[in-house]
Order: sequence, then C-alpha cells, then structure tokens
Amino acid sequence: MPDVQSAYGELAGERGFEQIGAFAPGPLTPLLVEGKGQPLEPALRGALGDGVDGVVGQLAYTRNKTFRFQVALTEVPAATAFAPRVFCIRRGRSTRDDEFYGFEARHSKLWTESTALNERYEVATSPYQDPNWLRQLFSPSFVDWLGTEPPADFSFELAYGALLGSIEADDPGADGLAALCEATAQVATRLRRECEE
Amino acid sequence: MQLNKVGISLIAFFGLAGAAFAIVPILAGAPGQVAGILASIGVIWVLVALGLLWYARRQKEKAARNDWIFRQGLRGTATVLAAGSSAEVNEMPLMSLRLQLAVPGHGAREVKRREIMPVFAASRMEPGLVLPVYVNPQDPGEFVLVW
Repeated sequence: MPDVQSAYGELAGERGFEQIGAFAPGPLTPLLVEGKGQPLEPALRGALGDGVDGVVGQLAYTRNKTFRFQVALTEVPAATAFAPRVFCIRRGRSTRDDEFYGFEARHSKLWTESTALNERYEVATSPYQDPNWLRQLFSPSFVDWLGTEPPADFSFELAYGALLGSIEADDPGADGLAALCEATAQVATRLRRECEE
Repeated sequence: MQLNKVGISLIAFFGLAGAAFAIVPILAGAPGQVAGILASIGVIWVLVALGLLWYARRQKEKAARNDWIFRQGLRGTATVLAAGSSAEVNEMPLMSLRLQLAVPGHGAREVKRREIMPVFAASRMEPGLVLPVYVNPQDPGEFVLVW
C-alpha cells in the first residue's frame, strides 16, 4: 500500500509524529478484536490534537475478505468509572452482533434518545449504563458537532478507557488522516471534560 | 432480554417438527415399530423445545430483576481484586471475578461473580479496575455489575 505509506509519511512530516513502523495495541475494543491481533501498520505516535496524545495507524485484517480501517487510539482512563463502554458507530457500518444464542440477555443496549445522533450513528452501551451521564456527554453541541464535523465515515469506540476513532477509507490521504486525528482528539477532550464535572 | 430470530426459530423447529414426528406417523397408519421410533424422537424434540422455552423465560425474569436493581438500587463501585477465565462460550470468555464492593450505607465487602464477556472486556478485567455497580437496597448480596 505505497499510497497509504506516503500519506502517513506526509502526516508525520506535517504534524511532527514519530514513525513507529507497527504498533500492536491488543484487543482493547471490538474493532481491534475483529482485527485478530493484527498490528497497526504503518503507525505514527504523537499529538492527535490539543493535549491528546495517541497512535494513528492502519488496521488491516482478513476474514472472508480484507478489511482496512484507519484508526486513532488514545486513552481516557477516567471514563471507565462512568461509562465502561460507549460505541458510537456510523450507521451502515457492518459489525458483529452480540446476540449469539437467541436466549441470553443482551450484552449491550442501543441508546436512542437523541434523534439527531441516531440519524448518523448507532450508539450502544452497557445495558446498565447511567443514562444521565450519557445525556450529559451527548450534549446538544456535541451531538451537533458529531453530526457535522467529523469525516463522513467516522466512528468511535470507548472501552475501559481506550478510545479508538476510525474511518473506513482505504486511502484517505494525509488530510483524511489529520481529520481522523482531530475528530478522535475532540471526542477524547469531550469525554475528559464530562468526567471532570 | 428478548428472543431473537435464532431463538424463535430453534423453538419453532423443535416444537413443530417434534409434534409432527410424534403425531403424523400414527395418523397416517404407519407400522407400530416405525411410529414408535418416530414418536420417541418427536417427544424428545418437543421436550427440547419446552426446555428452551423455560430457559428463555428464566433469562427474561433475570433481565427484569436486573432492570429493577438498576432502577431502584444503590449505586456504588466494584474494584476488581482478581480475574480469570477457564472456559469460553461462543468465543467469549467466562470470567470469574473477585470484587470489592463499596456502596454507600453498606460499607465494603468482597464478592464473587461469573460473567460471560466479549474478549475486549475480558482482557481489561485486571486487579484495580473500578466499575460501576448497582446493589439491591434490601439485599446487598444482589447486584448488577456494569461492565
């Protein structure tokens, strides 16, 4: 993937990222579990946005076909005590369902209170997630931002303090990667502020 | 909790096919030995369908109970003291957790809990992790772990 390599090289040059070759984050979020332990490659480390450090890289894995995602990973450890997991996934992106048996209680619940948010995203949490905290997190201004500012194929997964922003483009170019970094950093900043309040 | 298409299909398959195996050969006048074998299979399948229905109902009651604790319970924290897994169910680890519960008005106590979790959650269950928890005000031993 020479074009993706050059896009990451360009991004590193523009934003002062460190090129780290490959990075294996482990099974921190559902998308990374789907990746079956594949490392992020190429991968860069640095400031995703103002005060938000992390790693940006390409996740490629093969199931019945090859999937490629560009992802940005950072940490918001304080979020675990309020919301162990929040998945805000672009509507239409295919993900695995957690209803395997047909009889068991579900492991997650859709949060559908915000119509504007649900037009673009499917938001899933723990079935016993505090709804008040979610209402505060998804404030009208944050919902408005999520609906208009991030890249069109942006999704994010927050799981036990690990925040993974992702886009589905195979070759988004340096600008697309920069937009992914900024969107992920914005989400991290919003989460941190809500945890502090 | 809700029955999904897989659950409904399984119950319908075992129930209807079992009933057909048990009844149709007799109505059609099949030889006694053949009808007896098919009827035995049919009865077993009907019993499987009834067992699945019982399990689905039990899960529904469990989910309703957990919903009640979530709505009416006292909110606290659960700190993971130890976590391990020795089995998997549908590619998901069955986690054995030792937890320290801290709930206002009830002090701290140590409890054990087993949960089937997706891999991304199981991999984060390490000592020191603090999770929200909701405890039944009348029975501190009954709680919902938010993971």
